[in-house]
Amino acid sequence: MIAHLRAPGWYRAAFYIALALGLSWLLLWSANGFSASDVSGIGWVQVSLISAPLFFLGGLGAFDYWIYWASGRPTRPEDHSAHGATSWKDYLRINTDHKVIGIQYVVTSFFFMFIGGLMAMLMRAELAAPGRQFVDPSAYNGLFSVHASILIFLFIIPVFAGLANYVIPLMIGAPDMAFPRLNAVSFWLLPAAGTIMMLSFFAPGGSFASGWTAYAPLSTTAPDGQVFFTIGVQFAGASSIATALNFLVTIITMRAPGMSFFRMPLLVWANFSTSLLVVIATPFVAASQFFVLLDRALGFNFFDAAQGGDVLMYQHVFWFYSHPAVYIMMLPGFGIISEVLAVKSRKPVFGYRMMAFSLLAIVILGFTVWAHHMFVSGMQSWIRVPMMVTTAIIAVPTGIKIFSWLATMWRGVLKLDTPMLFALGFLTMFVLGGISGVMLSMLPFVIHVSDTYFIVAHIHYVLFGGSLFTIYAGVYYWFPKMTGRMYNEKLGKLHFWTTFFFFNVTFAPMHLIGVQGMPRRVADYSEQFANWNMAISIASFFLGLSTLIFLYNMVASWRGGKRATGNPWNALTLEWQVSSPPPVFNFDRIPTVVGGPYEYGVPGAVHGVFEGVETTAEERQPAGAVASTAKE
Amino acid sequence: MEAATVHHHHGPPEANRSSRIHPALLGMLLFIISEVMVFGAFFTAYFFIRVVVPGAEWFPFDGFELPVAVAGVNTAILLSSSLTLHWAQVSIKNGNHTGLKVGMLLTFLLGATFLFVQINEYATLTREGITPQAFAQGTIFYGLTGLHGAHVFIGLLILLVVTIRAFRGHYSPDHHDGVEVPGIYWHFVDVMWIVVYTTVYIL
Amino acid sequence: MAEETMSEEVADGQSGNRPRRGRVHVFPLMVIGLVATAIGIALGLLIDWFPVQAATQAEDVDTVYHVLIITSVPFFVLVTTIVLYCVWQFRERPGEEGLDGPNVHGSTGLEIVWTAIPAILLIALCSYAYVTLRDIEEAPAAGEPELIVEVTGQQFAWTFAYPEAEGGAVKSAELILPKDVSVKFNIKALDVIHDFWVPEFRMKIDAVPGITTSFRVTPSKLGSWSVVCAELCGVGHALMRQKVTVVSQERFDAWLARKQAGGKAAAGGGAAGEADGGDKAAIGKTLFAEGNGEATACGACHALSDAGTSGAAGPNLDDVLQGWTPAQLTEAIVDPNKAIAEGFTEGIMPANYGETLTKPELAALVTYLEETAAK
Ligand code: HEA
Ligand code: HEA
Ligand code: HEC
Ligand code: CUA
Ligand SMILES: [Cu+2]
Repeated sequence: MIAHLRAPGWYRAAFYIALALGLSWLLLWSANGFSASDVSGIGWVQVSLISAPLFFLGGLGAFDYWIYWASGRPTRPEDHSAHGATSWKDYLRINTDHKVIGIQYVVTSFFFMFIGGLMAMLMRAELAAPGRQFVDPSAYNGLFSVHASILIFLFIIPVFAGLANYVIPLMIGAPDMAFPRLNAVSFWLLPAAGTIMMLSFFAPGGSFASGWTAYAPLSTTAPDGQVFFTIGVQFAGASSIATALNFLVTIITMRAPGMSFFRMPLLVWANFSTSLLVVIATPFVAASQFFVLLDRALGFNFFDAAQGGDVLMYQHVFWFYSHPAVYIMMLPGFGIISEVLAVKSRKPVFGYRMMAFSLLAIVILGFTVWAHHMFVSGMQSWIRVPMMVTTAIIAVPTGIKIFSWLATMWRGVLKLDTPMLFALGFLTMFVLGGISGVMLSMLPFVIHVSDTYFIVAHIHYVLFGGSLFTIYAGVYYWFPKMTGRMYNEKLGKLHFWTTFFFFNVTFAPMHLIGVQGMPRRVADYSEQFANWNMAISIASFFLGLSTLIFLYNMVASWRGGKRATGNPWNALTLEWQVSSPPPVFNFDRIPTVVGGPYEYGVPGAVHGVFEGVETTAEERQPAGAVASTAKE
Repeated sequence: MEAATVHHHHGPPEANRSSRIHPALLGMLLFIISEVMVFGAFFTAYFFIRVVVPGAEWFPFDGFELPVAVAGVNTAILLSSSLTLHWAQVSIKNGNHTGLKVGMLLTFLLGATFLFVQINEYATLTREGITPQAFAQGTIFYGLTGLHGAHVFIGLLILLVVTIRAFRGHYSPDHHDGVEVPGIYWHFVDVMWIVVYTTVYIL
Repeated sequence: MAEETMSEEVADGQSGNRPRRGRVHVFPLMVIGLVATAIGIALGLLIDWFPVQAATQAEDVDTVYHVLIITSVPFFVLVTTIVLYCVWQFRERPGEEGLDGPNVHGSTGLEIVWTAIPAILLIALCSYAYVTLRDIEEAPAAGEPELIVEVTGQQFAWTFAYPEAEGGAVKSAELILPKDVSVKFNIKALDVIHDFWVPEFRMKIDAVPGITTSFRVTPSKLGSWSVVCAELCGVGHALMRQKVTVVSQERFDAWLARKQAGGKAAAGGGAAGEADGGDKAAIGKTLFAEGNGEATACGACHALSDAGTSGAAGPNLDDVLQGWTPAQLTEAIVDPNKAIAEGFTEGIMPANYGETLTKPELAALVTYLEETAAK
């Protein structure tokens, strides 16, 4: 038993969590002058929410290596070999292999997708008819708040990070990420963040219910469930920043010889751009929630107008992150689409350089438009017009990408399998969502439709029709690489068509009822919208069911699918030039890149070659040698 | 056939170095960018509370005053810690282990003094009625200086690790990244203080 | 080894390019595109998207929307048509496995075209939007009258005031506006952010604690429209609905005068504490319909025909109050969450009337409700 509690792992993690709860209580108790009666329940919960995840990570062993290293003790050999997976149990421990971490990410975030989706089903059930069906208004507010928070912070953002985690080192010809241990920490912060958000349903007064935007002063005066958002977001954000930093360092310092920036696959470019956004923007959401936490827990006055605080400041700080965040949720998808379209059309990506530059243009413009979420917020009115112009202009680089993809397909040999179908679905649906976005940037119109179902329609066209379609495309595309098995093509196509159809039936009518005047974030609405809402709800249940096809396909194919060859799609990028799944350290020898990533149509063209001197095992260093060798 | 060979490997091939910059250094620089943005968000709050909000006022007002001079001396203390740290870094590059140890120790003590003085200042201000709960100006004063103080605290922990390792003889003229990289963080904390001090106390 | 696999597969994968397939069907493509565009635009214009236009601003906004539809449908149709055309013409047919498309890398000319066209179009749209924005926010010309209405949002009801009404300010739980006069709303919030929206006017803006926000409309149609809170403000957000009624100028003036008379009668009775029976009821009625500035008017949420209110967020007090004792009434007002009326939710009715109403005011209100119920 004692041995269990001392060795890194789940037993120790549980023990450490208990320790964290106890220590938090002790801390408060001593801070209150050793008087138990002053230790309030919520104070203890808040301190525990902050400490428990860190202790949990410590218990699992995420920090062992660093602690040994920092204290000058010899680092333990297990820490070097926490790499690779031979059984499912290896997915449940601190693992430093980017491929294991990638799969941990993807599986975990899809788990959260189902949780978030299930909440959407409950919301649609409540909304099927006006008046009250299943949940009371405060529970409903909690549902859509947790729905959006989970799907944004624990699904879309991390699932992209997971796919990139798996693929990027392979694509650039690196044996692993630059900081494998930091990578593991990034991942394990997510289950902690998600658990916190879901635990909020057990808080007195219900879960956090001020939307995923958590505007002050509603969030500073809401019941205590709100702190589960405030603190949960911190962990998700910390995870994002750490991963982004890791990607940037990996991409800058670990590319294979010959892999110049303009020979990188566009997925790498996309994640490079996204990571820049994350490193620069995410600290703002952290700060916005610090403010809320300080106002709530310690009585600070950031948002108390009566004491000289400024209510609108919250929105400026929040959207300075959360607008770039919508591109954090879209740019990696753009990268996936570039890969899939080139390979499935058997043509080079059209206008490669403009594709890369337009990503950077979106990154830069993305920081100049945040106040388009505040057009009706009552901020200084002169800010609105400049923000309208910058917002509209973002359609230009995005348009360049869309048109280049179309040109990529032109005269190609289109293989219409599941990843390609989702890519094509993405093209059409994202354009629709983007266009409604451009309409929203036009001030006279947005004043009317802001905070209505028109926005809800826009959200889902860009996030579901945009991001999620690219995620599906990417998951199907790399499924053979990640699992070594082929997915079932028939089921994949069925999944696409049901999803595509019911997605449109669910979300298209929302444009209409929005313009007609149905506000968002309401459990109850006026009689005139009843028919449309019933139709939407029914369609949404089928949309939910269509997801089960995907789930079944993934589980069944992973267990018993046909074995995949190394390169089933006949693609040129490096991840396909190794076995499926790749060897533990990715490459026996680091490849040398000799050409562009998409030279389809040139007979015999290759992107990388694997020549070079064979090194002996003794000469090689463990994964992550760069960050870890005790050379100092 | 790949599968068969894989299991004989005991380590990965060494990654190609595609940039001259040291990964740990680059990582630290990126981390500092995101730290700058955290401060940026707090400065945004400061800007709104000091300038934008209707009827905005700033210290001194209603007889509430900030101890500009004491904080100025404290600033000098923190800045000199950057100098001692630099001295320690130069020392190890030249193989001067004593210089490294003394330099690190001095840096740590100066940093700790800064923090001590700041905590004292908080206590005094609280007695004079300037608290974060009293008014938004207090909120952002404590917010900004407290955020910085937290960074000093973390910086001190890191310095402590470096100092311990220095005393254990871990660094050499060829291997001193472990002094270099944390050093950048400490310099950043110092530079940030100049910005905080200037905006909060002087402007 | 890995690299051998690669070269093998590359070798048999790259078995050449597909021969160029006949000419591109430019003409049918354009026809299809144009027809689809026409249908799309027709749908956008013909479907009855908007609520009625009840203010001059509404017409401008709807025109903007129609222009946006006309300019953006072609882009959607363009993308969709090309996708479908590629699927139809360029898909891999049996026997074409392993063939590649042409190794085309780009075309500077095309790239310039598809950068420039959207850019120009968007700048044009922004300019047009800016002009419209100025129009809909324009103040009436000097000398023309403008009605100022103060709007106060509180969880979960709106109250209104007419500070510049001739003969003294008027407070009201209901919003009545004259037709064809520019109205400027000055909007405040007492607790959290709300949003004052009249869909039929197409205008909205947040009510933000600490600042006053505003917008203008010129009602152009008689009738009764909805006032909706469009910013999430807590449990009662969905219920924060009231009515705005647009009447002719004469009826508006008459209504104001009536309000003023009622208000004076109540105020004339002196401090509520000294008033007796009849006066007390009058004060209670005023409180019910107008609030006292701090306490939200009951009529914002409750219908009571005697007070002339029609709020719908809370129970209809015409139906429920018969036989209530003063003690019960007091409790229902001061501690509304103690017993929740059937079919309603806890936490909607403000729980702070104990503080926002003075003791005499509370007594007056209870007296009034008791007497009304007895009628
Ligand atoms: C993946 C996420 C994502 C993406 C990519 C976008 C992309 C865009 N969004 Fe969206 N947006 C959200 C997610 C996203 N949005 C969310 C979640 C909200 C609600 C937040 C909340 O309140 O909860 C929101 C809200 C939102 C608002 C605020 C509405 C309000 O609350 O009042 C606005 C206003 O300007 C806006 C605009 C835009 C624009 C102009 C784009 C552009 O980037 C789109 C550009 C793309 C195209 C235009 C299509 C392709 C281009 C062409 C084919 C070229 C030719 C086109 C034309 C000339 C029209 N969005
Ligand atoms: C990535 C982001 C994402 C995704 C994928 C979704 C997916 C869905 N969303 Fe979500 N949504 C948001 C992001 C997202 N949403 C955001 C940001 C908001 C704004 C919140 C705010 O205002 O703060 C929002 C708000 C929002 C609203 C408005 C709430 C309101 O304003 O009152 C609605 C209403 O219909 C809705 C519905 C749905 C539905 C039906 C799905 C479906 O697509 C879900 C389908 C998937 C599943 C259901 C998977 C699980 C399936 C099963 C477990 C099988 C079981 C099936 C059955 C029981 C039938 N969403
Ligand atoms: C924001 C909306 C709102 C306002 C303002 C409001 N009420 Fe209510 N009221 C409600 C709701 C909702 C209920 C039903 C839930 C409950 O019983 O608490 C209710 C219940 C009541 C009841 C009990 C009815 C029953 O059938 O049990 C009485 C009496 C009452 N209100 C009187 C008043 C008076 C008097 C005022 C003004 C001083 C007032 N209300 C202001 C929303 C409101
Ligand atoms: Cu008030 Cu919503
Ligand atoms: Cu945005």
